Amino acid sequence: MSILAVHPGAYYHIESFESPRYRNYFDRLVRPEDLSDVQLEDYAVLLIPCRTPADRLEEHKGRLRAYLDHGGTIVATGESESQLFLPGISFTPQPTNFWWWLTPGADLGVRIAAPEHPLFEKLGQRDITWHLHGWFDAPEGAEILAVNGEGKPILYIDAVTTKGRMVITSLDPFFHHGSHFMPATTRFLDGFLPWMRNHLDKEPA
Amino acid sequence: MSVLLVHSHFGPTPPAFTSAIAEARVVSVRERQLTAEDFANAQGLITTTHLDQVGFMAHAEAVKTLLDRGGRWFFNGHILRNFVDGLEIYRPLEKPKRPDYALTRLAEHPIFASIEQKSLEENKGVAGFYGRGYNPLPPGGLAVNGIGPERHPIDWEWRCPQGGRIFSHAGNDLGGMGGETGAGKLLTERIIAWCSGEIG
Repeated sequence: MSILAVHPGAYYHIESFESPRYRNYFDRLVRPEDLSDVQLEDYAVLLIPCRTPADRLEEHKGRLRAYLDHGGTIVATGESESQLFLPGISFTPQPTNFWWWLTPGADLGVRIAAPEHPLFEKLGQRDITWHLHGWFDAPEGAEILAVNGEGKPILYIDAVTTKGRMVITSLDPFFHHGSHFMPATTRFLDGFLPWMRNHLDKEPA
Repeated sequence: MSVLLVHSHFGPTPPAFTSAIAEARVVSVRERQLTAEDFANAQGLITTTHLDQVGFMAHAEAVKTLLDRGGRWFFNGHILRNFVDGLEIYRPLEKPKRPDYALTRLAEHPIFASIEQKSLEENKGVAGFYGRGYNPLPPGGLAVNGIGPERHPIDWEWRCPQGGRIFSHAGNDLGGMGGETGAGKLLTERIIAWCSGEIG
């Protein structure tokens, strides 16, 4: 199987998808507007990166749902308003505090909720901690992987809403890695993308 | 003629543009809906950090035409596509530390008049929001602000050989800088004025 990544084309997407560090994790890049030309079922995973303008995907909502119902896996990272084009997502935004770490001893509150999960073989708590944009009310039966300080999900796997699987997070690693900003986001992708390749790509939903 | 603001992100246009849009000094168009006519009707062009650079290449000829007739383009962000002959790909700072984010005014420019560059260096005591690298200065370009001890050209203006001008700011949108000092709104007004040919 293989991984298809939606390429919205901003500099941070170009840097994340096309530079040598990660480009081999994406078998094919597709422009949002060209999704109709791709047989999605040929791919095990469809990745939708941070800050994909939602209106560029809303017109493909039905195709994305059909792909999920066919057993596909969609990974959607933060700041893309994914509730507008993916099913079963309830998102609550929150003001982002970019400066929390300036206070000595401060704790953003992010916690790994499922330390035994394979994703965390290569990711530690500091690798999922940079700032917060909001949380989700995950559907019952979803696997919660990480939570904010109030225990609300910020990273989870939903294999109950559809016959497929959705990996949903409010974290925005591609935006910051692609902006050469915030080393934690690069560490996150260093662990997340191998997990996507080794588990999501090879183990069907 | 008005200034064309290419609206690339999902959501409203930045508030600093609201009055200029209401006064028709700026016309905001979603990037995916751009037409050649939008460029033909514009004196200047503003693009943001969220520009779909892959898609914008389809408008390279329209941009060239705008520049060739003396138009101006204010570019925010990292250049990762060759939109115009003479532009080169963004270069990030290598493993930057605090001194590497120091900003220095290298040449006076009407967009930055009376604004101390140092006042844009930090946001709530943290440096690095302004930018973390540079788009290489084209031959004959004017370096306006430098970053780091080597003073790499993070801001520059270039008078294109065939006509027109490009101003490059290689960081987050310049109009979003300055925190609560009000500099962001002033910078936005001046960017609009520069694109209109009213200053500079």
